[in-house]
Amino acid sequence: MSTEKKNAVAEIEAVRKGFETRGYICNAHIATSIFLAERLQKPLLVEGPPGVGKTELAKATAELVGKPLIRLQCYEGLDEAKALYEWKYGKQLLYTQVLKEKLGDLMAGANGLKESMTRLHDFDDTFFSEEFLEPRPLLKALWQPGGAVLLIDEIDKSDDEFEAFLLELLSDYQISVPELGTIKARTTPIVFLTSNNTREIGDALKRRCLHLYIPFPDTDLEQRIIRSRVPEVEEELRRQLVAFVQGLRQLDLKKLPAVSETIDWARTLVLLHARELDADLVRNTLNVLLKFQDDIDNVDGEINALVSKAMQAG
Amino acid sequence: MTEVLGDFIRALRSADVRVSTSESIDAGRVVGLVGLDDRRTLRDALAQVLAKSEDEKAAFEETFDMFFAFDQFKSRPPAANDDRADAADSAEADGGEGDDGEGEDGAPQQSGSPSAPGSGGMGGEPQGEATPATDLASLLERGDQAELQMALAEGARRAQLNRIRLFTQRGMFTRRIMELMGLDGLNDEIERRERDGNGAGAERLAELREGLRGQVRDYVEKQLEIFTANSGRQLREEVLAKVRLSNIDRSDMRFMRELVRKMAKRLIALHSRRKKVSRRGQLDIRRTIRANIEFDGLMFHTVWKRTKIDRPKVMAICDVSGSVAQVARFLLMFLYSLQEVLPGVRSFAFSGRLGETTDLFDREKLEDALVEVLRDFGGGSTDYGQAFMDFEEIALDDVDHRTTVLILGDARSNYGDPRGDILKKIHARARRVVWLNPEPRTMWNSGDSEMRRLQPYCDKAVTCASLKDLERVVSELLRSAV
Repeated sequence: MSTEKKNAVAEIEAVRKGFETRGYICNAHIATSIFLAERLQKPLLVEGPPGVGKTELAKATAELVGKPLIRLQCYEGLDEAKALYEWKYGKQLLYTQVLKEKLGDLMAGANGLKESMTRLHDFDDTFFSEEFLEPRPLLKALWQPGGAVLLIDEIDKSDDEFEAFLLELLSDYQISVPELGTIKARTTPIVFLTSNNTREIGDALKRRCLHLYIPFPDTDLEQRIIRSRVPEVEEELRRQLVAFVQGLRQLDLKKLPAVSETIDWARTLVLLHARELDADLVRNTLNVLLKFQDDIDNVDGEINALVSKAMQAG
Repeated sequence: MTEVLGDFIRALRSADVRVSTSESIDAGRVVGLVGLDDRRTLRDALAQVLAKSEDEKAAFEETFDMFFAFDQFKSRPPAANDDRADAADSAEADGGEGDDGEGEDGAPQQSGSPSAPGSGGMGGEPQGEATPATDLASLLERGDQAELQMALAEGARRAQLNRIRLFTQRGMFTRRIMELMGLDGLNDEIERRERDGNGAGAERLAELREGLRGQVRDYVEKQLEIFTANSGRQLREEVLAKVRLSNIDRSDMRFMRELVRKMAKRLIALHSRRKKVSRRGQLDIRRTIRANIEFDGLMFHTVWKRTKIDRPKVMAICDVSGSVAQVARFLLMFLYSLQEVLPGVRSFAFSGRLGETTDLFDREKLEDALVEVLRDFGGGSTDYGQAFMDFEEIALDDVDHRTTVLILGDARSNYGDPRGDILKKIHARARRVVWLNPEPRTMWNSGDSEMRRLQPYCDKAVTCASLKDLERVVSELLRSAV
């Protein structure tokens, strides 16, 4: 019993290491949630500010477990025809044409309407069958032999109805097609949902999921991320730029720079052959980090202070 | 184990974390999966099944740290070993010098049970007499902290300490736990020693007993804090929501703001999920074909494109003089906390003259804006006629069939003409005019109140004096709005 539990901790560490070798640097907290999601076979709802690597997490997991990643991007107006399945209308129409032609042969020798009907009933009903079903991401994920990693991205952008419709999929890994009945997952997929919190997610959905909140990384973690993602950047510059971004996040801005922006900025600085930060360099490249003119104007006055602070930290 | 988890979940619930039954079951599975050996892993793992928003995560961490401060879980066996080893060490080292032993033993104790202060001097007693004592007495004399804690926890469990609700129950629970731990036996032992002439032994035991009492009291105190973290606040919230806004104490203001924010959040959650769609009159070809496959492509059923109705515009006209000001403050607070579901709020304030305050609220923080509004517009003598005239000039043109006009005031116009004719014009243009009067209905029309002359032009006139009333009004506004 206790050895089994010891394994849990070891396995979480293994997950973390696995991510690390694939270039996704994370802390034990995130690794724990992946471990749990896999073991409990529960979907994982990932929340956090934009750009902290929510989608990346799903991609890294897919790589780690060696299963294909199936992604469904949510947007307003997304409905089940686009998310789940669609009938292949063209083929169905052709089928009816063929059926019409063959009907004569089929009915040959039948006496009276009643016998014709009986024969028709005996005939296989393939019109609504899996052959005519065009699988969309959700159904694909359920059908994928060997399982898949399903990423339902930005669930908060979808409508309430779609959220409600997901409940069946998330709790039982099955979906209902009215003409066919329920379709169960062949292998339970690992499901990720991400949300930027533009609206509150319903309780029913939250209850069915594990919940992971990814905040902005701390200095140490962010440095490791930069080291892994932009290895060209020199150590001193890396320390300075991370310290600068961390300082920037303390300010009251419309949109705080996330990890993805830090990475972009690090790449920019590498391209510019920068060796260390200075106020002019920061001023010229600030638009990589900040995406609102208001923010850039606000920060402008504080650049000198922030840079000198970052230099000290570096 | 399940019991501890159950208690923990109850503690979470009292800290405003909503935990459903299915989530409790998941928590049980999680504990089975990750085990109890690693505190951080356990915390990370439980946080993911039990706390499902940022606020809840914070509450969870706090509760977790507090609840497991006693280390009921993992560190007990090793701690016990340490203590025992220490006790054995000191017993060996002791020999005759009891004083030394006490000094040595103090430190490990404190590190072993940080949450049990007041236990000083319990472990270091020399282990002289081998008199067969009762359980508790020998336990105390041995000074084994780990075992004592275990006994304490067991006593607490049997006394159903997790049901504690009021601070007045502290004494009762302390006594009951002591009794369950074997207080009677201990007392008997003390008496027996006194009878036997072993005065020093009796005194020492009595001292130990008092130490234990302190420890138990601390424990009970802590549990009380855990299990009732919020009940006092909840009670206060309930009372404050019902009390008349004009009677609210200044000291409660900060609290009221919190409360409004909370209520607004609830309203948002309630109403943001109800987006009705309506017909637009265009054929949705894709869905029509989809609906008609079964008829071989013949269009039996038609499906129409639908569109969402716009959210309503709200114009709030607030009397900010005297007694109404307080209610106005909260109404505005409500309306502006609802930005998410009510994006188009325009507000106007008046006592003598009327002015638009929308920009102010956009520009400044809610609190600052409220202060400014009350400073700029409050304090004059109320004149509804003038206010309506100003409104006609500023904003009547913008009132349309989607606009709901909220008027908050006591309709006391100092015997001036309230200009019901302008309100009639507003009523004719607006979708709805709702009058909120902070006075009880029986006071309407008394003295200089002009409700009689204004009410005919309102779709609705209601009393609105407490937060509960406000919430109801705003909720209704949202319901009919969407």
